[in-house]
Amino acid sequence: QFLLADRFHLKSTAAEPWPENATLYQPLMDDQILLSDHASSLSVQAYLRMCGLPIQVVCRYNAEYMSPSGKIPFIHVGNQVVSELGPVVQFTKAKGHSLSDSLDDVQRAEMKAYMELVYNMLLTSELFVQWCDDATAGEISRPRYSSPYSWPLGNILAYQKQWEVRRKMNAIGWGGKTLEQVQVYEDVNQCCQALSQRLGTQPYFFNKQATELDALVFGHLFTILTTRLTSTELAERVKSYSNLLSFCRRIEQTYFEDKKLMKD
Amino acid sequence: MAAPDELFCWEGDWGLPSVSTDCLVVLVRVRSLKAPVQLRRPICSPWRSPGGSLPALRTNQNETLSRPSDIIIHLRKQKFNADFDLSAKEGADSLAFISLLEEKLMPALIYTFWVEPKNFVEVTRRWYAEHMMFPLNFFLPGRMQSRQLEKLRLLRGDEHLEAGEELEKELYRDAAECMNLLSQRLGSHKFFFGDSPSSLDAYVFGHLAPILKCKLPNGKLQQHLKSLDNLSDFCSNILLLYFPRDSREPSAQKAPAAPEAGDFDNVPNKRRKQFLSALFALGAMLSYALLTGMVSIQHGHQEALEEPPDPEHIGAHEEEGDG
Repeated sequence: QFLLADRFHLKSTAAEPWPENATLYQPLMDDQILLSDHASSLSVQAYLRMCGLPIQVVCRYNAEYMSPSGKIPFIHVGNQVVSELGPVVQFTKAKGHSLSDSLDDVQRAEMKAYMELVYNMLLTSELFVQWCDDATAGEISRPRYSSPYSWPLGNILAYQKQWEVRRKMNAIGWGGKTLEQVQVYEDVNQCCQALSQRLGTQPYFFNKQATELDALVFGHLFTILTTRLTSTELAERVKSYSNLLSFCRRIEQTYFEDKKLMKD
Repeated sequence: MAAPDELFCWEGDWGLPSVSTDCLVVLVRVRSLKAPVQLRRPICSPWRSPGGSLPALRTNQNETLSRPSDIIIHLRKQKFNADFDLSAKEGADSLAFISLLEEKLMPALIYTFWVEPKNFVEVTRRWYAEHMMFPLNFFLPGRMQSRQLEKLRLLRGDEHLEAGEELEKELYRDAAECMNLLSQRLGSHKFFFGDSPSSLDAYVFGHLAPILKCKLPNGKLQQHLKSLDNLSDFCSNILLLYFPRDSREPSAQKAPAAPEAGDFDNVPNKRRKQFLSALFALGAMLSYALLTGMVSIQHGHQEALEEPPDPEHIGAHEEEGDG
């Protein structure tokens, strides 16, 4: 994100082509990575594959700290480091690769709005379930987050992260509530319903071509469907929309055929 | 139906029924649905509201709802729902655009009203201080500001966020993009979906109207909004439609109240206050001097000159020498 403030810098990146050794960094797959981070990482991977840009995925336990904005994932291209889907999209656009050029203004407005919908409702719900539900936080999130570190550092970091997320939930009015009180699953349901309506029977959200919205939705929905949590209710809500299920399957088969993604 | 629900909102100004975005959203929704909600006299103290914050809706089951989305859901449950007329796709679009507003426009709104130093001191804090009663007006605006700054920090995920050029540029850029997107989506229609307003219209109005109407020293957002004709017309349209009383400019009423305000300060009766304070200071100094004996009022000036000097007077002169 900090790179984008420097437009002059962006113009200079456009000159260089996409290198072969571009890398994407994320936390350790098996033991450490959490639902929300995996979803974000998968979105970026899907987007780059849709653009036809090669990327290698490297797992590092301190990926979060290496990232310029503190968020997962981040990509290392040439001598630049860019994190999160939004900046990555802008970065690839500067290099001449874009998926949304063929959209008209109204469609682009809708695409941006739906992306914000996913961030606002889906990502927030994921974070809430992970860190604010005591059962999930205690059984899954904290152990996983602290796994690369020895005691007591792991504990301290995990609690710190939990506290940070809970404060953020306070800001949006979800602080201090349990899963039942906060209509988390209701929000997820509404979000999926909206996405399902928008998708309809089309193969992708806009025209016949994938855009960054498709990458984002795929990343989150696929991760929700394939990650084991203390309860399956989150996945159940997504499963109740069949066109979203077939959408995920289609994207996986089209863009990830060479790679075995986490499968249920 | 039992007693109607009661709605508590912030007071209005600058031609708006309320100065708060959330209150505006709820008000527009209530009016457009013609819901039988009783609007309590606009208050200026969140302590008087049932939930401790504004807006607040007290339902007839004595339940209190504070978030605009909760209030709208409650109204919808009572079957006052214009969104029923929206197709499923339009409902989905509605949800998406509301998210866009909250992620891209609201941070800029918070910044421009509460964090930007000039705006906050000259407009926001002054307004709240003037409209709140003693003694709340001393500390409540400051507390509201720290809460808003905290909210902005959490939204941006940056613990050490401070007002500054860089942040302002980023936030305003996002907000400008959001407004452009809304403008493109609205096109030349009267409302976002069909011929009657939906909840998206309420949210858009609630966020844009304060920007449009309030005169801020740092008015970059307002300039950008005014350049988007269809959005400005949209706001004015809703104002005329649902709040005709408030849409008359209040500046005519304000003007006679401060005719001699002076150019550099809006304190009324400034000259009189200055004169009175100077008089008070002078009086205090004089009485102190008299009481300690530094100065003594002599009656009969001629006799004093002829009489031999009194010991008291000598004492007074000595004191004068010391003082």
